[in-house]
Amino acid sequence: MTFSVVLSILCAVILITAVLSILFRDLMAAVVSYAVFGLVMTVIYFMLDAPDVAIAEASIGAALTVCIFVIAIRMTRRREE
Amino acid sequence: MKLVSLLAMFIIAGFMFTGIGKLHLPGDPAGNSNVFSQRSSEKTDTANISTMDDYYLRNGQMETGSNNIVTSVVFDYRGFDTLGEAAVLFLVVTSISMLLFSIIKGKDLEETVLTDSDGFPAGMTRIVSIGTVLMLPIIMAFGAYLVIHGHLSPGGGFQGGAVMATGTALLVISSFVVRNLQKTYKLFSFFESLGLTVFIVTGFAGMGISFLHNFLANNDGSFLGKVIPLGTNPGFLNSGGILPILSTAVGIEVFCGISIILVLLSRALNARGSQKGGHKC
Repeated sequence: MTFSVVLSILCAVILITAVLSILFRDLMAAVVSYAVFGLVMTVIYFMLDAPDVAIAEASIGAALTVCIFVIAIRMTRRREE
Repeated sequence: MKLVSLLAMFIIAGFMFTGIGKLHLPGDPAGNSNVFSQRSSEKTDTANISTMDDYYLRNGQMETGSNNIVTSVVFDYRGFDTLGEAAVLFLVVTSISMLLFSIIKGKDLEETVLTDSDGFPAGMTRIVSIGTVLMLPIIMAFGAYLVIHGHLSPGGGFQGGAVMATGTALLVISSFVVRNLQKTYKLFSFFESLGLTVFIVTGFAGMGISFLHNFLANNDGSFLGKVIPLGTNPGFLNSGGILPILSTAVGIEVFCGISIILVLLSRALNARGSQKGGHKC
C-alpha cells in the first residue's frame, strides 16, 4: 500500500514540475524545474525495478540536458518574451 | 504557444497515467496485479502473460552468457537497434560540431583564459573548482564500472558513457577551459570513431551465422566465455561473449561524442561572449 501511495505522490510531483517548466517565464527556473522532473523520474524508475533506465535518466535527464540548456540560455536570452 | 505546450503535455501525461494502471507489481510478471489494485496472484490470467519476455527471462542467460537480461536484450537480441542508436549519436555529433566550428572559427580564445594563482579557473569560487576536482575521479570510476560490468549488473554502454560524460559536463559548468581545442577534438573524435568501428567489426566477426552473432559466449571458459550457472552468483567478469566488447565500444563512443558536444558548446559560448562584450546571467 505504501508503494502505491508513494508512487502517486511522485506522479503528482512530476505533473507539477512539468507544468511549472512550461509556465515559468524565467528560462533558468524552467530548466531547474526540468531537472527536478528528471530526478523524480529517476526515483520512479528505480521504484519500478528498472535501475538501467534510472541510471540513464539520472545522467541524461538531470545532468547532461540541463548542462546543455544552461549553456544555450547563456548564449541567448534568459527572459522569455 | 504555452497553451499548445500544456495541451500536448496533458495528452501525453494522460496516455502515461492510463498505462500505469496496467503496470505489474515488481516481481510479479504474471499480470494478475497492478500497482494500484493489489489483487492476489492466485488465479492466473493466461491472456496477460507475454511469451516474449518470458522467453528472454528463461533462456537469456544460457544463450548469451550475460547475467543481466536487459543487457543481453540490448546488445544481443536487439543488437542491430543499438547499432542504429550509436550511428544516430555519431551523426548528431558530426552535425553539431560542423555548426559550432563555424561560430568558434577565428575566435579561439587561447590567450584570454583567466586563471588564478593556483591554476584554477577564475570565473568560479575556489569551492566549485576544488569540489569539481574531488568529484571528477569518482564520477569517472562509477561510469567505467557501469561500462565494464554492463553484462553483470544494471548499466551498460549507454548508461556508463552518459555518466562519464557527466564528468565532462561538470568541468564545463565550473568553467574549466580546454587548452588546446583542436588536439582535444581530434583525440575525442578518434576514440568516438574507434568505438563505432569496433562495434561494427565485432558484429561482422560472427558473420558465419548472422550479423552480431554472439560467437564467444559459453565456450568452456576461455576469453569472455565462462558458463555461469543460473541464479545468484558473485559476478563473473569473464563471461558474456561479445557483450562486454560491444558495451565498452558503445561506452567509449557515447562518452567521447557527448564530451565533444559539451566542449564545443562551452567554447562557442566563450567566443560569442567575447564578441558581445561578455554578458553573464
